[in-house]
Amino acid sequence: MAQSNPPFMSGVPELLLLRLLDQSEMYGYELVRSIRAATGEAISLGEGVIYPVLHSLERNGSLKSKRKAVSGRTRVYYSLTGKGRQRLGKLQDDWRRIQGGIANALEVPSHA
Amino acid sequence: MRELDLSRLQSELLRSGVAPRHVRRTVDELSDHYEDLVEQGLSEGLDSRSARCGAVTMLGEVEVIAQAVRAQPELRSWAFRFPRVAAVVYPLTFVMLLPAAPVFIGAAHANHLAKWVVCLFLSGVVTAAMFLMLQLAITLT
Repeated sequence: MAQSNPPFMSGVPELLLLRLLDQSEMYGYELVRSIRAATGEAISLGEGVIYPVLHSLERNGSLKSKRKAVSGRTRVYYSLTGKGRQRLGKLQDDWRRIQGGIANALEVPSHA
Repeated sequence: MRELDLSRLQSELLRSGVAPRHVRRTVDELSDHYEDLVEQGLSEGLDSRSARCGAVTMLGEVEVIAQAVRAQPELRSWAFRFPRVAAVVYPLTFVMLLPAAPVFIGAAHANHLAKWVVCLFLSGVVTAAMFLMLQLAITLT
């Protein structure tokens, strides 16, 4: 089983969750599997911590949820709202800016 | 063997002021996720015990999950988010609802209340009959 990254990286799960839910609606377990697959297992997390993030995103209107009965179980499926799409766009821009900044910093020769 | 202690998580979250509906939902979804992880373990050829242990490890420690929930202030009940407002609203609501307390208590104990009403009615009937008989006796004598 994969190793987890306990201090769930600030802002990253939100970005990943919004990105994945932009493609299709999913429930928690499915989302964790998708994060693993989408990041080539580079990001794995204590899977339980995904739910507070999902609930918080739902509370601020970025996600909506609905219950579906699947093989005798009731699953909570999450999907993106219009507000969530806007939030995703902003987070992606921020992330690309940071990524560019870090890439530039790494290219600068070290003086150490 | 490590077990998923959702009741401990539930009580920790409630104690931290997380809204009860968020606590219920978190626990329900974690429980469902746990079952999925156990099924996954079993399908990978693990025995039941190892699958359950693995599922607990994958989900993460209760403390870590509780900390992640606590890190989302919007999941807390409004009384914890706005304690000063709650300190005013709760006593006022209580004072306003106080006159209606007998109604609520009566509704909550409708069965007992119904018995009391029947008893009162019967005792009224008996008393009235006794008065009637007394009146009749006085009239006849």
